Amino acid sequence: MTALVTDDIVRSLQDLPSLPAVVMELLGSIEQQDIDISVLAKKVSHDQALTAKTLRLANSSVYGLQVKVTTLSQAITFLGFQSTRNLIIAAAVTGCFPKGQCAGFNDKAFWRHSIATAACAKVLARRMKFNQDYAFTAGLLHDIGRLVLVASFPALYAQAIAVRKERDCELLEAERQVLGIDHVAAGIALAGHWNFSDTMRLAIAHHHDPEAPGAGFLATIVHVANAIVHALDVAGEEDDLVPAVSSVAWTALGLNEESYLHVFRETELQFEEIAAILMG
Amino acid sequence: MSAYQHLALAEIRPGMILSDELQDDQGHVLLPRGAVLTAATIALLPRHGIESVAVLAPGGATAEPAADPDAVQQRLAHLFRKNDIDNNEDWATGILRRYVEDYRLQRGIDE
Repeated sequence: MTALVTDDIVRSLQDLPSLPAVVMELLGSIEQQDIDISVLAKKVSHDQALTAKTLRLANSSVYGLQVKVTTLSQAITFLGFQSTRNLIIAAAVTGCFPKGQCAGFNDKAFWRHSIATAACAKVLARRMKFNQDYAFTAGLLHDIGRLVLVASFPALYAQAIAVRKERDCELLEAERQVLGIDHVAAGIALAGHWNFSDTMRLAIAHHHDPEAPGAGFLATIVHVANAIVHALDVAGEEDDLVPAVSSVAWTALGLNEESYLHVFRETELQFEEIAAILMG
Repeated sequence: MSAYQHLALAEIRPGMILSDELQDDQGHVLLPRGAVLTAATIALLPRHGIESVAVLAPGGATAEPAADPDAVQQRLAHLFRKNDIDNNEDWATGILRRYVEDYRLQRGIDE
């Protein structure tokens, strides 16, 4: 079998389900401050399912609003543009990949893990005084490359899952062995195709090696959040495995045990609520 | 399932009991676990950036049955099966394991 190369991945991206155009626009503009909010809100509001999901997220206790928002412009007024944009992205991305395509791949467990990582990254970011919205989105999308591989090469990916199980190794290793490429590379390819910002791209690229030069602090947050969520056993996978935690990343966060116990609890509480909305 | 619920500030009423220590963004403790909220304290919370509060669920004052320590240890041993405690490079993973164990067994921090 010939190993896949990045070109194969890029070619396969053309066949992936596409996000609504306005969501692509939001993803690309994540670091821009000067885009016209009202125009975007109007475009999104044409998609009723997306709007409804976004508003349910905005009204969840995760955001603790004292008023109930009923329109996107209200959400923007109360939560700010950044947060609202991230809620729209979350609502769109979680619904856009087809399910049940690949033997052994548990879609539900995948999204449980991703949503919990998003919640945990947001909680950690708040403690670190880092942008909580970037952290949430990066946590949600950190493993998105796995969905690319599942959707594009379901038979090969089923083999990779079987190899991982048999050798009980990290998924990255099994992916490289069977496909010649891993979900990080696929995630980077998708980030280019979907026009993610550089910050997001770096976090996806380095969530397994946050100590790499230039990886950025967001990669550190997502790395630790990912390990915490595996340790909290959120996905509900029998053979879940906690990956090695980078001591560089752990030290960079510098939180004490008391802080972590709070982080664990908040993560579990927020996860339940967000998952009910996004996976409902 | 759990004896507490996480409520938005707007839903918090006097008489509710904190299920957890209440901290602000800096990690300063504002109120201890078990504190009974009054109208006056609730009114002060927004000033400290508090947006939501974990309180005991109605009728949930009885403590959750403690997790079975053996089952917890067993599951953690499985989840952390690749963590090599003799490898000095891998210490952060070991600390995470200890913290999650404390969390699951509801141990105090200094026990």
